[in-house]
Amino acid sequence: MAKVNITINDRQVVAEAGQTVLEAATEAGIEIPTLCYHPALPPEAVCRVCVVEIEGQRTLQPSCTFPVSEGMEIKTHSPRVVEARRVALELLISDCPMDCTTCEMNGNCELQDLCYEYGVNPEEARFAGEKHEYPIDDSNPFIERDYNKCILCRRCVRACEYMNGVEAIGSLWRGFETKIGTAFDAGLQDSPCEFCGMCVEVCPTGALIPIERKGKGREWEFRHVQTTCPYCGVGCQLDLNIKDNRIVQVRSVWDGPANHGLTCVKGRFGFDFNESPDRLTRPLIKKDGQFVEATWDEALHLVASRLSEIKEKHGSDAIGVLSSAKCTNEENYAMQKFARAVIGTNNIDHCARLCHAPTVTGLVTAFGSGAMTNSFDDIAEEAEIYFIIGSNTTEQHPVLGMRIRQEVKERDAKLIVCDPREIPIADFADLHICQKPGTDVALLNGIMNVLITEELYDEDFVEGRTENFEELKETVLKYPPERAAEICGITPDEIVEAAHLLAENRPGALLYAMGITQHTCGHQNVLSTANLQMLLGNMGLPGGGVNPLRGQNNVQGACDLGALVNVYPGYQKVTDPAAREKFEQAWGVKLSPKVGLTVVEMINAAETGEVKAMYIMGENPMMSDPDIKHVEECLKSLDFLVVQDIFLTETAQLADVVLPGVSGFEKDGTYTNSERRIQMVHKAVDPPGEARQDWWIVGEVARRIGYDGLTYSSPKEIMDEAAPLTPIYGGISHDRLDTQGLQWPCPSPDHPGTPILHVGKFARGLGHFTGVEWQPPAEEPDEEYPLILTTGRVLYHWHTGTLTRRSKGLDAIYPEAVVELNTQDAAKLGIADGQIVKVTSRRGEVTAKVQVSDKPKPGVVFMPWHFAEAAANKLTIAALDPTSKIPELKVCAVKVEAA
Amino acid sequence: MSKIRTIGELQRTREKIKSTIEEREKTTPKIMVGMASCGIANGAKEVWTAIQRKLEEDAIEANLVKTGCIGMCSSEVLVDIVKPGCPRISYKHVTPEIAEELIDDWVVGDDPRPDLALAVIDEKPFRDIPAWKELPFFAHQKKVVTHNCGFINPESIEEYIARDGYAALAKVFTNMTPEEVIEEVKNSGLRGRGGAGFPTGLKWEFTRKAKGEPKYLIANSDEGDPGAFMDRSLDEGDPHSILEGMLIAAYAIGARKSFIYCRAEYPLAVKRLKHAIEQAREYGLLGKNILETDFSFDIELKEGAGAFVCGEETALMHSIEGKRGMPRPRPPFPATSGLWGKPTNINNVKSYACAPQIILKGADWFSSMGTERSKGTMVYALTGKVKNTGTVEIPMGSTLREVIFDIGGGIEGDGKFKTVQIGGPLGGCLPEEMLDTPVDYESITETGAIMGSGGMVVADEGTCMVEFAKFFLEFSQAESCGKCVPCRIGGKRMLEILTRITEGKGEMEDLERLEELSKVMADASLCALGQLTPNPVLTTLKYFRDEYIAHIVDKRCPALSCEALVSFYILPEECEGCGICRRACPAQAIAGDKRMIHVIDQSKCIKCGTCLDVCPEPFSAVKKVSGKKIPVPEKPIPVGTWEPPTTADG
Repeated sequence: MAKVNITINDRQVVAEAGQTVLEAATEAGIEIPTLCYHPALPPEAVCRVCVVEIEGQRTLQPSCTFPVSEGMEIKTHSPRVVEARRVALELLISDCPMDCTTCEMNGNCELQDLCYEYGVNPEEARFAGEKHEYPIDDSNPFIERDYNKCILCRRCVRACEYMNGVEAIGSLWRGFETKIGTAFDAGLQDSPCEFCGMCVEVCPTGALIPIERKGKGREWEFRHVQTTCPYCGVGCQLDLNIKDNRIVQVRSVWDGPANHGLTCVKGRFGFDFNESPDRLTRPLIKKDGQFVEATWDEALHLVASRLSEIKEKHGSDAIGVLSSAKCTNEENYAMQKFARAVIGTNNIDHCARLCHAPTVTGLVTAFGSGAMTNSFDDIAEEAEIYFIIGSNTTEQHPVLGMRIRQEVKERDAKLIVCDPREIPIADFADLHICQKPGTDVALLNGIMNVLITEELYDEDFVEGRTENFEELKETVLKYPPERAAEICGITPDEIVEAAHLLAENRPGALLYAMGITQHTCGHQNVLSTANLQMLLGNMGLPGGGVNPLRGQNNVQGACDLGALVNVYPGYQKVTDPAAREKFEQAWGVKLSPKVGLTVVEMINAAETGEVKAMYIMGENPMMSDPDIKHVEECLKSLDFLVVQDIFLTETAQLADVVLPGVSGFEKDGTYTNSERRIQMVHKAVDPPGEARQDWWIVGEVARRIGYDGLTYSSPKEIMDEAAPLTPIYGGISHDRLDTQGLQWPCPSPDHPGTPILHVGKFARGLGHFTGVEWQPPAEEPDEEYPLILTTGRVLYHWHTGTLTRRSKGLDAIYPEAVVELNTQDAAKLGIADGQIVKVTSRRGEVTAKVQVSDKPKPGVVFMPWHFAEAAANKLTIAALDPTSKIPELKVCAVKVEAA
Repeated sequence: MSKIRTIGELQRTREKIKSTIEEREKTTPKIMVGMASCGIANGAKEVWTAIQRKLEEDAIEANLVKTGCIGMCSSEVLVDIVKPGCPRISYKHVTPEIAEELIDDWVVGDDPRPDLALAVIDEKPFRDIPAWKELPFFAHQKKVVTHNCGFINPESIEEYIARDGYAALAKVFTNMTPEEVIEEVKNSGLRGRGGAGFPTGLKWEFTRKAKGEPKYLIANSDEGDPGAFMDRSLDEGDPHSILEGMLIAAYAIGARKSFIYCRAEYPLAVKRLKHAIEQAREYGLLGKNILETDFSFDIELKEGAGAFVCGEETALMHSIEGKRGMPRPRPPFPATSGLWGKPTNINNVKSYACAPQIILKGADWFSSMGTERSKGTMVYALTGKVKNTGTVEIPMGSTLREVIFDIGGGIEGDGKFKTVQIGGPLGGCLPEEMLDTPVDYESITETGAIMGSGGMVVADEGTCMVEFAKFFLEFSQAESCGKCVPCRIGGKRMLEILTRITEGKGEMEDLERLEELSKVMADASLCALGQLTPNPVLTTLKYFRDEYIAHIVDKRCPALSCEALVSFYILPEECEGCGICRRACPAQAIAGDKRMIHVIDQSKCIKCGTCLDVCPEPFSAVKKVSGKKIPVPEKPIPVGTWEPPTTADG
């Protein structure tokens, strides 16, 4: 970078060309006050507080935007500058209510600080005049806007534009009447606002306050704990503000490696479930059909003795264990160890089975490693094109969605979205392909057909880095755009356009989620995504890759640490004698060589009596699994069910013993996010009542069964045991993770971690192409059930709703299930928007309010599955992908009628 | 008309059009109606319809055409008649009836009606009608930018071509490199006619040299000043000169795409510009490979949505981008990062309109007009209390006195000149002693006013300077985009102070506050709107400070204009008790009876001035005063019985 010599306040300073005066001064240790400036936002120079005198400039210039140039002479605190600053501050407080004594931001208000610094006293105000008297806007559940304290610094507007990207707010009106608001000054809830809260985060005064924090404390009383968000797999770092053992506000961690300060509505405002009165505070034992509070000793003794009995009588494999993608790596390690070493079975699984089992099987086949290949940063910063298929990114991985949206807007990166619904990110797409659910293989084959027939693929990459291309070619040549388009219910042009966009814009990142995996052809779908990216040469480089987005905070880690039926921690096969021997030695017990039962298989086996008991930690199959009615019958036929959770979930209600665990805010440990980053989780508050650490509970059950190898003193101790046994985690320790975490593989304590997989060489050597034929879903619409039901999630809720339904704000803004129905279908059925409808499949029925729009494709019905009152999974089908055993949650046949 | 494919074809087309026009004028009378907004507002459409009907009914063969504004808006409706073999005669204040008379008397008959004529548009007088250049209004003008306004049909590209239109374009295509074009414009000394006066050629050079593609060109016609209509006159009167100037600029800087940003409140300007763009496209003068060259260029018209601040270049670009029109800090300047972050040249429409003539007649010709540093001419919209309002174009360096008294004909009615507000609402109010200031960028700036885009509002003695300043401030602060603090709140606070003063609630410290706020607004606002908003206040404080002090200290408005500070009295010596004022008073504030001296109840008076207006002139018994009381009886008393109270000194 070229250097320029400048003079600031008679001091010689060497600055970098392209720097602003503010940056140069700050680097030189010269402080220039700022107000509208925020380091994470593009400067707008509206407050005029950072103005400086620059020799040769007629007027004062804002240092936050003015670039340095050779020989520039700058005065940062000349009388002229100070006078202008003072007047700006005087003007600002002339329109401020000056109610600092009751203002939430007292002590953290940047205007207050500057007035203090410049001695601006409202009592001596020279420019008193009309003050605005706006009513307080608390019309939404999250954010209170007090316009009277708004200084129009436009930080919130810029946050909305440059961080979130939806541009829900902007300046309204003109002159003194200018205010910040939504289009037509409607409430935020009637705007595109997603309540990510970044506006609140950057507000320098008390104009934007989280409703949840009001009256709960002043800045100087807060204790701060940095932790990893307990919601989705993005793994945002959060700064929890705590007073009196209560979380009162969540603030940004600007150097959070996955989120860089960004949050979504759940991370920012969805923490209040933690103090819900529904929290389990004591162990419960079911007596005569009723739960009765018990002591820990009683409950643990009962669990240990019943499990021992069943193991004794029916064998180890009569017991099934479900670990949890919501729990830490340490807890997952402990739980799988419990299943394997204490019970003696590989019947250990968790809900990754319901989301990314095909990712593991498919990507291992193609690349040799079953995880997201790239990092959020390189995808966001370097991809020339995003190919999003089967991922409602802005709702499910909102912070990543925000970043992609931003890149599309600011950097003009291209975006292709393939989804049967008009999902929000499709609004930003260059091309939205609205394929029929269950036709992804045909779509991807069609695109690859164009790439191959028009010779647009990366021949060098295919030649040098892959194998089995001929098989792929032979297969995709059977899918010319016309045929593929017909299967997908789209036009051939769309397929050709997608191929051309992908070929012209490289590198490109492919992102997918449940839309790809939750099919009976999930494994095949994943293989197809891998085929496409290898064909384009988009592998092993920044801005490329196949990027499965993991749904839960620690679904990656739960898999990594072996909460799977066929592998020990680090994907070491239970059928591999060497691996088994290693773990037998480490754990001091004989281990079963038999691959265990997966989630759905385990539950089915309960019905047949093959499985007699289950121990479920932090999972809720009564909401998350397909065909819930059947799940209920199965669980009820168990001899013994123990559920360990923080709430009495739909599943826990069926349990014989309920053990109260702790929430993500009440424990130490680690989560591994979607980009394979292992990050620290820190305990922020004490758990309620007698709730106990999950690893402690598992250890205590084990001890009572007679195994002492699970008695730990801390999660750190667990990681210290797990890491050396788990090659990809070999270099991980709590001490090393600090605030930035580490991305696996990280095989040794001196290894820096691996941001991008398959650089130069695939984990398996050569990338493997597989010719994949399209196959129809297990259940297709027919006369009786003429519509396709596809399920998914919404921005404001998470999974089975256990947490988010208990967050006041989240549940208020999205209180009930909706059935999304296409306008044409609604007209045919004579159903009006807002009507209550009955949705029926061969397995059950639910009733909910209908939302008629063009969001779903004609013939497609969408339902979120967060709502127990209208549980979408009563309708879904438990047909499994033969390879990965994932059920086909994304497609089943239903009918819709007025209720 | 088919496409003009080559430069040669353009020349042949010009010759053909010229001879067609000439042929026609040899045999057929031509009737031109001034159909710019000023004409239409005065009834030009009705006149047009009347002429059309008359020609039809009487089966008179004549060529009826529209033309733009020749500048003399106060004389609208203007109708010009060119009879074969006779010079063009311009008639003023034409009504449908007068139009019919003119057809009978002059088109058909042989009476040129000198009584209705304004002038002949010719070198010499004609049958008792003076030559236009003999009229002071025209004599002092030099028409460069507006040379076609009022002379051609603005909706006819043919007429533009006939008057050497697009010849400059042909010249740059055949004889000049882009660099040479820039050099020529630089040498001409042309400075930005939007008001800031930045050297146009230099700006083009910056944009040409800036890195980044594509490059954009923008013509600014977002003329928002109250009382300004120069751009509108040009847009409506000669749109092709703007287009040709833009083509030349685009060639010089290497732009292929451009926008004309015109305020939507100018529907006729928008219509004519759009029409001109379409015509130019049809003729192949816009679009791909213009005149068989490698040069391709197109223009899109973008209508503003009514924000004054969108005249500011960065706000204007935001508006084109579809964003709220708000200025952003510069640097980066548009030349390096403009529309969509690309190098962008933005000039006022009048600047572009100068370019073809500079190219055709040469830089020396252009720079021979004007002063040392301000070359060429300046177009002003002269308005207010002046006899001849209209669009005037003067060589740079003419004095304000020449403009107001020679061209404008002095103050309307019997009034006395008090001030001229120059440069629009962001300009300044200059007093009589500044009237000999030459109109050029530096001299005007020195006075505290600005050149602006060329608004000139003249006021007479009846104008209160505090109120006058307040009027402009009301406008500017309301039009603030609200982004930066000094402008948004500072403007409001200044307005509050001025309001206080006009209401007699001011204090002397208010003057310091005004000066302090003005200083900081000028020094620290983000854009010119905020920086210049204090100008009317600063200049009135500078040149008319006494008036402020009178308001504050004496609670008196010397111009008898500030409602809160004036009172109406019925002079007991003059009142004849006729009762007219009593009956007319809308507030029933006047007591009295026949032959009784009427008395205004000051507590009821709403200061509407009706009594003053209706009092019969022979009596003239109502008096408006400020800062003093006139002794009157407490109750009505018979006429003739009033005895004024004696004062101590008799």
